[in-house]
Amino acid sequence: MTPADSLWRLSWIRFRRSRLATFALLYVAFTAVVALFAPLIANRKPLLSRTAGGWSSPALRDFWIPDPDYDPPAVAATYALRAPVAFSPNTIDLGSRLLPPGNGHYLGTDDLGRDVLSRMIHGARISLTVGFFATIIAVLVGSFLGAMAGYYGGAADWIVSRVIEVVLCFPFLLLLLGIVALFRPSMLTIMIALGLTSWTNEARYVRGEFLRIREVEFAQAARASGARDGRIIFRHLLPNALAPMLVSASFGVASAILTESALSFLGLGVPLPTASWGSILSTAHEHIEYAWWLVLFPGLAIFSTVAAFNIVGERVREALDPHSD
Amino acid sequence: MTTYIVRRLLYAVLTFFGITVATFVLIHSVPGDPISFFIGRAGLNTIPVAVLDSIREEFHLDDPLPVQYLHWVRAAVTLDFGDSIVDRRPVRDRVLEKLPNTFTLNFIAFTVAALFGIPIGIWSAARSGRFAERASAVGFFLLYSLPSFWVALLLMQLFSVRNDLLPLFGMTSDDYFELSTPARLDDRLQHLVLPVITMAYAQLAIFARFSKSALTEVIRQDFITAARAKGAAPIAVYWHHAFRNALIPLITLFGLTVPYLLSGSVIVEQIFQWDGVGLLYIDSVLTRDYPTVMGLTVITAVVTLLASLVADILYAFADPRVRLGEKA
Repeated sequence: MTPADSLWRLSWIRFRRSRLATFALLYVAFTAVVALFAPLIANRKPLLSRTAGGWSSPALRDFWIPDPDYDPPAVAATYALRAPVAFSPNTIDLGSRLLPPGNGHYLGTDDLGRDVLSRMIHGARISLTVGFFATIIAVLVGSFLGAMAGYYGGAADWIVSRVIEVVLCFPFLLLLLGIVALFRPSMLTIMIALGLTSWTNEARYVRGEFLRIREVEFAQAARASGARDGRIIFRHLLPNALAPMLVSASFGVASAILTESALSFLGLGVPLPTASWGSILSTAHEHIEYAWWLVLFPGLAIFSTVAAFNIVGERVREALDPHSD
Repeated sequence: MTTYIVRRLLYAVLTFFGITVATFVLIHSVPGDPISFFIGRAGLNTIPVAVLDSIREEFHLDDPLPVQYLHWVRAAVTLDFGDSIVDRRPVRDRVLEKLPNTFTLNFIAFTVAALFGIPIGIWSAARSGRFAERASAVGFFLLYSLPSFWVALLLMQLFSVRNDLLPLFGMTSDDYFELSTPARLDDRLQHLVLPVITMAYAQLAIFARFSKSALTEVIRQDFITAARAKGAAPIAVYWHHAFRNALIPLITLFGLTVPYLLSGSVIVEQIFQWDGVGLLYIDSVLTRDYPTVMGLTVITAVVTLLASLVADILYAFADPRVRLGEKA
């Protein structure tokens, strides 16, 4: 154990002391695996099929080429290994509209006869991708501005603080809805808009950390040895601010997932027919009188994922804090 | 004290400037001629050049951007945000007529959340570390993660679809105008229950958490130890010595929750078809009614600014350390 990684190693040991948090971390990993392998888990094309032309994997192609207008091969397959959920997320089947769970559809179908479970599995991709990339943008913007404010102080600090004040004045969801509507909803717009509106916490953490450590001996030593500002900021100071950033990033992913699903619910999320958890709930709202399964399952998916990220974040905060337990 | 308030006011003016500049820049960074906002689907080619010129003239579109900004801010200060594209009525009137509905909903939800949340926070500070408190802390933590629109849909399923106890949506029943006055009041109350629960539960968790940490902070201080040491009863220590000091940080919370409430309003009003500002906002966004969107964005941001300003000034009145610290 080198002195440099001892904090992280100690924190990991402390992290695992909480069974709830360990379980939450496993659940996050599980969701990530489901999202990553969604085309292999829920797909109406076989994973492996053998036709006269030989072996092929039609489902595998969906990793890079989305192929909604798939037609089964004219030559019947002699062997086909089906995906665990044998429905694609966007396949419309008007003959089986609004079926309750069972009937071959584990979690029922929506108003266009699409399989709810398949849409949820593919929706995990949207939620996690938006959550992660929005948080990365927020962390980059926030830590850059926070570092400038904390390191240079004075005018830089004053300007960054005023900008934060202005951003915080806009009710978050209203600002986001406005931006997304102005620039047309798409996955990219949503990620950028979310990232650019939620960096204030990161900026404040990094600023606080920089104010605390910029005059500590090692920073002075770096300065005395002639290091440039950029080197001091990125090589010496920023690594010390990683811990609080990790905590706020974990909470950030949770809130980004929650916000993305709210946008989709309001009809301004990732455009249809792409499946997302929020858009299934929006269908549920239209059919609230009878389709309870459309309400229950996607909501549970949002809640459990957001809760898992929040629990992990809270535990990381406790584990990194030398004063707790 | 006066210098503190004056300085705070100056910052508020600056922030107001920032809010308007940010909104203006945002609108003008949208690709395309701003004129296409106003004519919509018709397309530029179908409109005579003279008409286009008169539109440019009317909205100062030929002026340099800073001049356009000044025109817009001058109108905005008098609450003139132009006319809605949807019905050609002034944005101000459309917002003002919806405001009471949003205010009623938020005020009741806020009160309910405070009435339940603050006592729960005090209870958990007093019982800190015991099993019941730790279990409830996890429970409140999970409350944060609940999407409010999901909670709303579950409540609708439970209370309106499964058991016909409460109305599904709207502010009043269809036969509202045929009802007697007491029946009308009852009807309105019934329509309030589900939206208020949806708005209040998450707030309640925030109130509980905030008042718990405020009280825990106070309990650590020397004067509480002194009160205990002189033999004051635990209840008296809490109510007499600790609680009143813990109330001070709660003032900031009132300022902080306003933007949160406004965001929540958008979702709740959309789900329950509550005819307020939130529903107006989402409708305007969906119909790309830019003057209304811009006007409401500025109005809500200014409301937030005023709330935090009032909270800061009240804080200075309540806590002498803030205003005296300024002089040092």
